[in-house]
This record gives sequence, structure tokens and C-alpha cells, in this order.
Amino acid sequence: MSKERSSFIGHLRACLSIFRIKTAQGFQYRMAGLAGATTGIFWVLIEITVYTIFYTYADTREAGPMAGLSLEQAVSYAWLAQIFFLMQPMSIDSEILGKITSGDVGIEMCRPMDLYFHWFAKTAASRLVPLFWRGSITLIAGLLMPLSYRLTGPATLTGLLFTLISLFSAFLLCSSYAMLVCAVRLNIPWGDGPTYIMMLIGGVLSGGYLPLQLWPQFLQGFLLIQPFAGYLDIPLRFYVGTLMPSEGGWAIGLQLAWSAVFMVIGKTLMSRRLKNIVIQGG
Amino acid sequence: MNGLKLYFRYIRLQLLSGVQYKGWPIMILQVIIVVISDPIGLIFLFSRFGSIGAWTVERIILIYAMAVTGFGLAETFFRGFDYFPWQMIRNGDFDRLLLRPRSLFLQVAGSRFHIHRMARVGGGIIAIIWCLMRLNFQPTLINIAIIVLGLIGGLFTYCGVFVMTSGIAFFTIQGLDWIFIFTNGSYQVTRCPMDYMPRILRYMFTFFMPMLVISYYPASAALGWGEALWTGFLALPAGVAFLMLSLGVWRIGVRHYKSTGS
Repeated sequence: MSKERSSFIGHLRACLSIFRIKTAQGFQYRMAGLAGATTGIFWVLIEITVYTIFYTYADTREAGPMAGLSLEQAVSYAWLAQIFFLMQPMSIDSEILGKITSGDVGIEMCRPMDLYFHWFAKTAASRLVPLFWRGSITLIAGLLMPLSYRLTGPATLTGLLFTLISLFSAFLLCSSYAMLVCAVRLNIPWGDGPTYIMMLIGGVLSGGYLPLQLWPQFLQGFLLIQPFAGYLDIPLRFYVGTLMPSEGGWAIGLQLAWSAVFMVIGKTLMSRRLKNIVIQGG
Repeated sequence: MNGLKLYFRYIRLQLLSGVQYKGWPIMILQVIIVVISDPIGLIFLFSRFGSIGAWTVERIILIYAMAVTGFGLAETFFRGFDYFPWQMIRNGDFDRLLLRPRSLFLQVAGSRFHIHRMARVGGGIIAIIWCLMRLNFQPTLINIAIIVLGLIGGLFTYCGVFVMTSGIAFFTIQGLDWIFIFTNGSYQVTRCPMDYMPRILRYMFTFFMPMLVISYYPASAALGWGEALWTGFLALPAGVAFLMLSLGVWRIGVRHYKSTGS
């Protein structure tokens, strides 16, 4: 029993140091972060302009507040979405993808570590890195904008606390979905198509394109329980105050439940794929 | 003529090698999903808020689709330039092209071809036709010419963006991401109705990069939204002029090229 336990701790420690190394590596790309932030800020400003036009000049301009989201909330939502969408899996980590396509998976499988958790650590690290540079530059830009474009403070302090907890769950959710996508990618002849579609659907349903509250009314129930609301929409609702901390229990529970589902499916799929994997290259 | 033949041979080879992957029909599905999901936020906004005065969803989607189709055409036929900074310069493959006694432009342009990129063009054209039908388009010869020339102008404009990116890549390959403002970012600007668009955006995308000249002005001229008819014909000259400017940047880049990679 104690032997098992120490091996588990050793395992965890190895995963943590992989996470640390990979994060440190990523920090070297400061310039890329700055350039990425420029694009991101441009994107938000256009988004805010479009929202402002709809909220001020549209034929039914009261439709936004009626859906429960004021212009000020929509603006803050746009900024935070631009920052935290960076956690979403947009592509499989290039190092892992390289290993899959070049046949180095074989070497990875020889390591005395569970491949799923090994790659999970790497994937999680690559979700976190862009947040630091690109995210913090975008955040500062958002806080410094002129009033009508500014990222305003959280609705309540408890709301902020719930935002932070919920962002952490979102990080778990994004990483576990990224690993599920990765397990699908192990079927090499399919190429990038299916994995890309999976990630795109996640991105669209996360609220990154448009706050989910502004989507059609009849979809609202579905939108809140589907897994990808947990990517972005749930944390941001806590921030702008359209989801009360009293509802925090089930919202964060939902995020964690979906993470667990993705982990179980991802791990099962991966071990099944690895049993009869065809190594590419030689 | 010889050069053009070479280009099409490159494209054919790329096409044949691409079809070898079993996943290519899925790639087409992928781009169809991109084409549909990209404007989905805009469509939902219109369905909730209604039109903005004279600006209906059809008008905005038409302008948007004009720009997207131009982008898609450039992406289909000059895909090589899109890849150039990230791949060819970084690993030194460009040296091999320099040794060949053929046009560099054609060699780079033909170095990639992805059939599934056509899906963006297809989706764009379907959207354009749908919007034109809903907006009572008069199919006279002049009006059709304006729309078609707009698309060709768009092809040249976005080709210009790719070429300019590649030219700049000779000096720096780090931190080139801001160029997305002029590729995928540029047609997002068309989501703002012209009357309400901030002036700086309007000027930037008219006089520096002529994105509005190839999308808004042809649409406005052909459907009579108030812009003069002649402005609709500016798309092609503006696109060619922008491409010439970009080729200038590209030439300066090539002259400064020192090999990288091994």
C-alpha cells in the first residue's frame, strides 16, 4: 500500500515538473505574445463597436437589456472573453502532434509514466502560457481604455471570487477536452479534420463569438448545461453579475462534472488506441 | 506562358498529394463549419436586435461575403505565400527556390494548394447570391460586372496581404501575428454598418488596404445605396495597386535575404 502511494506521489511530482519546464519554455515567446495581443485588442475594439451600434441604433435596441445583459456588461464580457479564450484548445500542442505524426509515440510509451497524465501536464502548460503574456497585455489595455470601451470592475467581490474559482475549473475543463481531442488525433489517417471540428464547436459554444445570453431565447436552457459554457461563459457570468454566487454550487459543479466526463472518455479512448497503434515512420 | 504552365503543374501535384490523405472530405466539412460559424454571432445579433435603420442583415452579410470570398480566392490560389514566413524561411527551403531559373513569385505561390480552401469561396458565393436575390438586385451587365470585378479585386488585395507578410518575414519572423489584422481580422470590420463605422477604420481599410473598396463600394454601386456608380469599378485597380505595393516590399525582402536553417 505505501509503495503504491509513494509511486503515485512520484508520478504526480514528475507531472508537475513537466508542467513547470514546459511553462518556462513558453515564456520565451514574449514578442509573439505582444504581437498576438495587438491582434486581440483590435478584435475586441471592433466587437465593442458592433455591440455599441446594436445597443444604440438598432430597431429594437432594448433587446439586449431584455436579455439580461447591458452594454457595459457586454463590453466587459468582450474583453474577458478575449483574454480567457486563450485557455481553449485551438490546436493540439505542437510537440505532442509532432510525436504523433513522426512516430515518436513509441518512445513516449517506453517511459515509466502513464502517457495520459504525462501529456495532460504538457497540454495544461501550453494552455496556461499564452495567458501570461498575451492575456496580461490585453487585460491592461482593457483597463486603460476610454470609458465607453473600458473593462469595468466585477459586479461584486464575491462574484470575483467565484469567477476565479470558476476560471480554475474552466482551465481543467479545457485541458481535459484538449486531451480528448488528442486521443482522437491518435487515429493518424484521419488527419487534422475531425480534431479541428471538435475544437471549433467547443469555441463557438463557449460564448467566445457572442455572449451566450444574446443567443436565441429558445436555446438558452441547452446553452447553459452544454459542456462548453464552462469554458468561458460561466466564469464571465459571475464577473459581470448575471449569475449569482448563490447559484455558484451547481455552475461550478457542472464544470467539474464535464471535466470528469472528458477525462474518463479521453483516457479510455487513448488506452484503446494505444493498444493497436500503428507507428508512423521508422 | 511557360511560367503559368509551371504554376498549374505545381498546383496539380499539390492537389494529387493532398487527395492521398483519407481525411480530405472531412477537411472540406471543416471549412464549411468555419464559414457558417464565423458570422453566426452577427446573425444572432440581428435576430435579437432587428435591423439598424436601412442596414438589414442581408446588406451586412453581402459586404462581409464579398470580402470573405476575395480572401478565400487568394487563399486558394496563393496559399504558398500564406505558409511562406512560417515554413519556407524558417527551415531554409527558400534557398532551393533561389537556385531555380524560374519566377520566385510563381514558385512560392504554387508551393501549397489545399482543395478544401475552395469551400470558403463556395460558401461566400452562395451567400452573395442569396443576399443579392433578397435585395432586389437588377442583373444588368454593368451590375454583374461590378460584383465580379469586386471579387477579382479582392483576390488581388488579399494576395497583396500575403505577399507583403512574406516580404516583412525576411526581416523578422517573430511576432508577425499582427498581420492577422489584415487577413482574418480585416473582414470582421465589415460587421459595422458603414454609416456608423469609426472613421479611422474606414480610412485604414479604404486608403491603405482597400478592403472596403472591394466589398462595400461594389455592393453599394450595384444596388444603389448612395455611392456613385464609378466607385464600384475601383476594386480592380485598387487591388492591383495594393499588390504592386506589396511586390515592392517582397522584392526589398528578397534582396536582403540571408539564408537561415541548414
